Amino acid sequence: MRIPRMRFPTFGPTLYGLALVMVVLGVATPFLPIIVKVQLINFLLFVGLAYALNFMTGLTGYVSFGHAVFMGIGAYALGGGIDRLGFPPLLGVILGAGLGAAFAVGIGLVTLRFRGVYFAITTLVVFLAAKNIVPEISELGGGSGIFMNLGFQPLAEFYTIWTIVVLEIGLTYWVTHGRLGYGLRAIKSDEDAAKTVGVNASRLKLILFGISGMFAGATGAVYAWTLSAVLPDTGFDITYSLRMLAMIIIGGAGTLLGPFLGAVIVYVPYNYFQTVQSLLGLQLAVIGALVLLIALFIPTGIVGTVRRYVPTLRRYVE
Amino acid sequence: MADLGLVVADLVVGLMLGCVFAVIAHGLNVIWGVTKVVNVAHGEFIMLGAYGAYYLNVYLGFNPVLSVPVDAAIGIGVGFLFYFGLLHRELRGKDTITRETEMVTLVATFGLSLILSNAALAIFKGDAVGIRWAPETLAAGPVHVPLGGLYVAISSVAIIAISDLFLSRTYLGNAIRAYSQDIGAAQLMGINPTRIAAIATAIGFALTMAGGALLTVWLPVGITPLIGATYAPISFVIVVLGGPGKMWGSLLGGLTLGILIDVLPAFGISASIAVAVAFLVLIPVLLFAREGILR
Repeated sequence: MRIPRMRFPTFGPTLYGLALVMVVLGVATPFLPIIVKVQLINFLLFVGLAYALNFMTGLTGYVSFGHAVFMGIGAYALGGGIDRLGFPPLLGVILGAGLGAAFAVGIGLVTLRFRGVYFAITTLVVFLAAKNIVPEISELGGGSGIFMNLGFQPLAEFYTIWTIVVLEIGLTYWVTHGRLGYGLRAIKSDEDAAKTVGVNASRLKLILFGISGMFAGATGAVYAWTLSAVLPDTGFDITYSLRMLAMIIIGGAGTLLGPFLGAVIVYVPYNYFQTVQSLLGLQLAVIGALVLLIALFIPTGIVGTVRRYVPTLRRYVE
Repeated sequence: MADLGLVVADLVVGLMLGCVFAVIAHGLNVIWGVTKVVNVAHGEFIMLGAYGAYYLNVYLGFNPVLSVPVDAAIGIGVGFLFYFGLLHRELRGKDTITRETEMVTLVATFGLSLILSNAALAIFKGDAVGIRWAPETLAAGPVHVPLGGLYVAISSVAIIAISDLFLSRTYLGNAIRAYSQDIGAAQLMGINPTRIAAIATAIGFALTMAGGALLTVWLPVGITPLIGATYAPISFVIVVLGGPGKMWGSLLGGLTLGILIDVLPAFGISASIAVAVAFLVLIPVLLFAREGILR
């Protein structure tokens, strides 16, 4: 009798590789020294943000300068949930994700009518308006913010952000390889043509913006959790918008591996520079130089360029 | 009901602030209108203009209005550098600016803004500096008009008027307008597109850095390497409000913002809500008048 060969569904080497990295991180972290744990949490926060923006800017080609607004919403959701409603942190993160998605859909209904540069400027404007309005709301702690007194919970924080990143990678794969992906690629190359062939562009963009806002909100909530406080300045920090954008541009916008790669490239120098006196404060300048060079010479980012010029690697990198 | 004297006083300050907003956005307006490229690093060049005025004041004793021509001359050089270093390879040989070019330049200038603001932070340090230049104040009833702000407002309106005259009355100005309307047709009329785009970019940078110099009057102790992040979004909003490429649009947009930011607090609305409102005005304008308020 022949035993039928067991068949695994094939997901491609990139997804397996990313899964392997995530499983190793998930298994090994409880045994690592505390300082490494903190570093890994911060690193995964960067990865989480990169994938969050990748859903919008990467997959639809709409550049958003104001994505930190969803981080801020998530952070304040966590702060408000813990401080006012007595939530456990995890529930606060889920609330952050929900509010992030809700606000993204609300904001997207208006701003997604604009294209290109106009969309980018509108997102920036929404961010700045939120940054100015939130400190005026006394229920949210006003200008002095909310202190949560959560103590130091590295493992809970780590597994929350780890789960968020795993969900993001899975969803990115599903979106890019499923039916949605065809529509998105069509929108990215020519939105009017896509509409002509029957892609419901506004609905697709809104879905992606919602997903993007949801993950940015969840990641923002975890970031506030690590700080154990929500302040107007840390909640709505434009440098996070800029870093998110830098990560996906460097790694390769709209790819599966790109945001992870971008996060490594942005995070490692970012951390290293903080330990060297003479390089202190130059992190963003170096990241900016990388972004400038990549935008001018290889606009598809590292992953896109490797795929284009190294055909043998095309199977392994997507 | 708000006190009328207070409202008038705020309106005067708002008008003057609006004029300075208009002039810092004007350079962006010219570059955006002509080359269709949005310079995200605009704020950083305003910042460099402000530092230019500051160092001219420290070493040569110039006041901000006097340092305008010097800053503008530097700006022309910087503009040519910017055009040939960055824009030329994106715009060369193109008849229409595609969305792809728009995005590439958007991201590239975004990288440039990160470089400039953080390099400036390393060079100038984070301490706020300022120019001590305080001409006296004109008093008319309850309204006190600081003369420094008035000089700046007059210079701003003059700069915008001159740029409008230049574009509508001179040969070079007409060539620039032709280029901004239709690159292909302009070429057929014997206009060299590279030359025109480079000159327009240089003019835009001269205006930007001159605007930075005038801005220092409003920042008596507030020039830092990070002011670009404050004034770049204001400039974007102003240009979109007025419509890219319309010279008087800068003034209209600038006055709208200046008045909203300064007059709303007189009606009991907090200052930061006023700023938020001033920014959010952009959205209805974009929804209902895509080409800006000016037709």
